[in-house]
Amino acid sequence: MLAKLDDVTKLYGKNEALRDFTIAFPKGEVVGVLGLNGSGKSTMLKLLAGLLFPTSGRVTVFGGMPRVNRARVGYLGENDALYTWMTPADAERFMSGLYDDFDAVRYRELLDVLEVPRRKTKAMSKGERGRLRLAMALARDVKLYLLDEPLAGIDLLSREKIMTSLVREWHTDETILLSTHEVAEAESLFDRVLLLRQGRLALDANAEALRAEGKSVVVAFREVLS
Amino acid sequence: MRGFMTLLWLEYRRSRVWGVALIGSLAFWAWGLNQVNVRDIAEQLGIRAVLLGIAAALGGLVLSFMIGRIRSETRQGQYQILLLTPPAGYVHVAVRYVFALVVAVPYFTGIGGLVWWIVGQTGLSLDAGTVAQLVLVCPLYAIGALLIPLLSWTLLLMIFVSAYRISGSGWIPGTVMVLGSPFVLRWYSDWLIHISYTLPGWRLFEGVRALIASTTWGAEIDTSGVTALVLPQEPLWGMFLLAVVMLVIAGRIWQEVEG
Repeated sequence: MLAKLDDVTKLYGKNEALRDFTIAFPKGEVVGVLGLNGSGKSTMLKLLAGLLFPTSGRVTVFGGMPRVNRARVGYLGENDALYTWMTPADAERFMSGLYDDFDAVRYRELLDVLEVPRRKTKAMSKGERGRLRLAMALARDVKLYLLDEPLAGIDLLSREKIMTSLVREWHTDETILLSTHEVAEAESLFDRVLLLRQGRLALDANAEALRAEGKSVVVAFREVLS
Repeated sequence: MRGFMTLLWLEYRRSRVWGVALIGSLAFWAWGLNQVNVRDIAEQLGIRAVLLGIAAALGGLVLSFMIGRIRSETRQGQYQILLLTPPAGYVHVAVRYVFALVVAVPYFTGIGGLVWWIVGQTGLSLDAGTVAQLVLVCPLYAIGALLIPLLSWTLLLMIFVSAYRISGSGWIPGTVMVLGSPFVLRWYSDWLIHISYTLPGWRLFEGVRALIASTTWGAEIDTSGVTALVLPQEPLWGMFLLAVVMLVIAGRIWQEVEG
């Protein structure tokens, strides 16, 4: 298994973000992490990225502690945390200087595909910054990508470009965990769908099997929530 | 090394405005010193020395602000894109520190140059050794004994505050550290004073009395109290050690929070 959460509970003070959560992610899956706001999606991804410690239980990534293996994980956080003076060229220098697995050629291709303007991030729209961050994350040659809301606040055409890029860039030995609220648009990407509800795993389904049953992910989502 | 250089470049991009402004401010201070137009040489020298003291203190303050801008690194409790970057916390701390020193050395050397200039204005013709001591040795001693620990302390304080801020109120540990530091510093400086001159001191400006006496105004004053300056080594090494300890702690905290 590439990554695993084993009976994990995460509390923020008295608030329960995840409760008794157990799940494993094998190699080569695109996993849709779905749920309403506050359902625990971001918490799960942060635990896997090593940004948070579980209150109880155990999280392993590549067989070890997430913090130890952090350089082997491509994490795209939900926050727009780019320096305002950075241009895509600055971002390339930054990434290639710090990450041995950063592929500059792939990055430039992604910038073109995602139509990221070559100007400072402070002069970019939210969607353009989002596409730049995605290009930075996907240009790393890692086996596990944790993408937290990469489609949030991005217009329809850009979302389509991002999803096209995800399909194009995905290699069969890579696992992508993609958290999104844009369920209908992203569902064709998924091999597997997780639905979180109030910190618990409400559904863990094979997306293909759902489709074979004639159910869309959106329908399954609604059924579980109702 | 590549990571270190990349972070140094990042620090340069983040802080170059501060660095350029600080070094550029030397032109302002030179202009200000030139405006002091007092006939009495001792009074003129005194006013200019006070101005340069203010310039040195402001320089230290600006460098402290520059190195302590950790809060701007966090957004919604998270570090910016430095988050999850492979270099260790120690490297991040070292980079900030190196960049601050890269700015500090020319700035304080420039102040040493201005000291040479105002001394030259009094008619003193300094030999090369004395000029070197004024322009290089004194600023470097001040950087080592005062600025280096000040910057380490600021960096430690801001990392300490930011580390707590991520999960709660950073002002509580910040206040504790600010209030507690003077007591530690007093105890430490008492100890340094106690051990000073155990090692041989560095003698500076040995020929200054003869130089003063050779001027027209120097012949009219009593120079018997003018002696060579003997700088003790121990405060320099002691403060350097303190700075290193604080940097290691700062790096360890960064490592714990982000590592």
